[in-house]
Amino acid sequence: MAGTEATESAARPTLPLPPLDAAAEPILAFRGVTKRFGGATALDSVDFELLPGEIHGLVGENGAGKSTLMKILSGVHTPDEGKMILRGEAVQFTSPAEAKARGIGVIYQELSCMPALSIAENVFLGSQPTNRSGLINWKQMRRDASHHLGSLGIDVDVSSPAATLSLGGQQLVEIARVVFSGASIIVLDEPTSALSGPEALRLFRAMDELKARGTSLVFISHFLEDVLAVSDRVTVLKNSRKVATLKNEGLTKQHLIQLMIGHDADALAESYVGGVTLPPPSQAETVLQVEGLTQAGSFHDVSFAVRKGEILGIFGNLGAGMTEVARVLFGRERATSGAIRLDNRLIAPKSTRAAKQMGIAYLSENRRATIFPRHEIFKNITLAHLDQIVGGIVREKREIAISTDLVQRTGVRPPSPTLRAGNLSGGNQQKVVLAKWLTVQPKVLILNEPTRGMDVGAKREVLDLIQALRAEGVAIILISTEPETVLAESDRILVMSKGQITKAFAGERVSKDLLMNYA
Amino acid sequence: MVQQSTQGVATPSGDPGVQRPGSQSVLAWASRNARLLAPLLTLICMVIFFSFATEVFLTTQNLQNIVTQIAPIAVAATGVTFVLLCAEIDLSIASVATFTGVMAAWLWVGDVFALGNWGIPVSILIAAAIGVLNGYMVAYIGIPSFMMTLAMLTIARGMSVFVSSGKPIFEVPPVLKQLGSVSSQVFGIPVIGIFAVAVLILGEFVLSYTKFGRYVYMTGANREAAEMSGVNTRQVVMLSLVISAVTAGLTGLLFIGRLSSANPSSGEDILISTIAAVVLGGTSLFGGEGGMRNTILGLLIFGVLSNGLNLLPNIPITFKQALQGIVLLAALLLNVFALRIERVQTRNE
Repeated sequence: MAGTEATESAARPTLPLPPLDAAAEPILAFRGVTKRFGGATALDSVDFELLPGEIHGLVGENGAGKSTLMKILSGVHTPDEGKMILRGEAVQFTSPAEAKARGIGVIYQELSCMPALSIAENVFLGSQPTNRSGLINWKQMRRDASHHLGSLGIDVDVSSPAATLSLGGQQLVEIARVVFSGASIIVLDEPTSALSGPEALRLFRAMDELKARGTSLVFISHFLEDVLAVSDRVTVLKNSRKVATLKNEGLTKQHLIQLMIGHDADALAESYVGGVTLPPPSQAETVLQVEGLTQAGSFHDVSFAVRKGEILGIFGNLGAGMTEVARVLFGRERATSGAIRLDNRLIAPKSTRAAKQMGIAYLSENRRATIFPRHEIFKNITLAHLDQIVGGIVREKREIAISTDLVQRTGVRPPSPTLRAGNLSGGNQQKVVLAKWLTVQPKVLILNEPTRGMDVGAKREVLDLIQALRAEGVAIILISTEPETVLAESDRILVMSKGQITKAFAGERVSKDLLMNYA
Repeated sequence: MVQQSTQGVATPSGDPGVQRPGSQSVLAWASRNARLLAPLLTLICMVIFFSFATEVFLTTQNLQNIVTQIAPIAVAATGVTFVLLCAEIDLSIASVATFTGVMAAWLWVGDVFALGNWGIPVSILIAAAIGVLNGYMVAYIGIPSFMMTLAMLTIARGMSVFVSSGKPIFEVPPVLKQLGSVSSQVFGIPVIGIFAVAVLILGEFVLSYTKFGRYVYMTGANREAAEMSGVNTRQVVMLSLVISAVTAGLTGLLFIGRLSSANPSSGEDILISTIAAVVLGGTSLFGGEGGMRNTILGLLIFGVLSNGLNLLPNIPITFKQALQGIVLLAALLLNVFALRIERVQTRNE
């Protein structure tokens, strides 16, 4: 830990990085790059160096600046201050196309494979080889594609559709596409979150192969083991600043977590960073009980119970299977096996409507899938329980009256229910969706990332409201990828990783790094 | 995202939220309601134009003609409005209308089954069954409504030809003749028009004042969000297609009443007219926005235009169809611009 202080000050622009391979000239360097969005600083004078033929891990908490750095690199954003030096030359990208033309390729978390096209076509998407008359040269395309993929360790029939490949296979096809379109710098954003163990190993082998050919890779991930498994060096970001760039020699996950969380003064003030002591387990009656719930391909053997007036926090990284569990409980998807009991009665919600009528409410993490932007706030709020609210005939006056109360209770701003929901900020839209589930008190309230994208004040309001609902006896499941939220609000905590519950905390002391260790 | 950030860089102290003076509030109101006002403006302009350009446009006789002409389309348009609001489409309405009419006449004539006037409710039930099949295939099996109703168009057309052996049936229930004829009037209003208005009002009531109507709007606006609010969106889509088939069936009955015969090879043209009328009124093809009031305006525009063009002197009769299309295109353009204004207005509020 002694190195921490020293490297923390290295975040200032003038100091050199810890001595590394001094002979190698960086292929890409950020010098004091700053990026602001409105009043918020997303990246604060960050230095970053990528050497030729290295795999560079990039880690940090949510909001630490990882994706901003990536977006600057890929030409989506332009820095407000500082310089980006590519192959010894200062560059300023104005569009992703420009970054691509300069040899920077990005593999996003959401794959862009065309499942119906052949693997060969996917490898050459947008740059199909043509013959003299301008037609696609299929023969050459197939030959080259299978050669390229073979060199990455994938041996497949390139004329079969991409849909026949596993997710990991499709990812490799995308990497092949980026490589053979001439990229010498490849950014991978959370590439392993959806991969099984063997698939991840195959990806790492392909990354090593690319490295051996002199390609530089930036590996952004929440999965610290994965980062440690392949990276030559790791850069840690925290609160928009660079904490350190370290050689991956004797580095441990514990060490990285310490650097990501840090121990600065204002963080210490918040008790949960040091850890919280969970209250003694509640003895109230069990409302929802889940036993051995499994959905093939997304989560496995999940068991837990939530009691009346209790908040069960579930923490995990993106892709850990938490959302899928919630969607099964809300009847949006089906489980492969396992049992769900509500008030000691076996249930199997077949539709969202059925789940709603049983008293289960779900706030989705996907805002696009929850809001009706072109419709008034009150219509957004009354939709879920329209029958209880208006009875036989819809009267907007009554809807507006009910919504006015709820809009105030949830702190929507501006609090006018006749405004269209699309005019609200993201955080306020989230409050509207929460209000929707409060028109009739639910028995079980499942909240998936309820405070994502909110500023501190709005966050507090929503969390206070959640605590108030808990006091009223609602059984609450609070799902989040933000450890702070889960730590600060929960009575008990589960940690999920890659589709399984890896740890359950109750009545004991938990800290952020402990949580992250199990994720 | 990109736009936002570059804007932030370019005008760091720009303040777009300047308060508008009060005198502009009328303009703001108009912009907000542009979806209704644009077709209304089109309609008014047309009425004024035809009143001056022709001598007979504003006569009672001609207005009665317009009502009788658009009434059957109005009934079908009521159902199509539900379907479009759901962000689906029904291409089978014209064929279903023809088939329902043929069935009612066939059951009246009674070559195989003689049901008399009972043939009327039975043929409507058949139309409803077609709607159930359409709806089930679209909502539960997942066939795109465009393809499913296109297939149903062919099936229903084929069934009309099969049942009638391809020949017009010249006997229809007298009740329908009375309903469809121009001469049956109450206080000078054709009965067929009163029927159509009743259907439109019922449609407006269901859309604006029932739970189901709200579900239709919300399902069309964002199906996933409606589903995540516990709305049974499949049922909503299916019921909308059933409503559309039933209103199409009613239209078929009005047609055979007006023509006093059921012709298996006619009536296909109402498909385009009906959908055109609904869209002209300002209901979105992408669902969630518009409504019965828009449809009424669209129907009036359509009716006034087809009638008025026929009255205009000095226009070659062979050019009229093209001219009608050109005017409809102009009206659609006006709608598009109006919606752009509306969007900007509601975004800035």
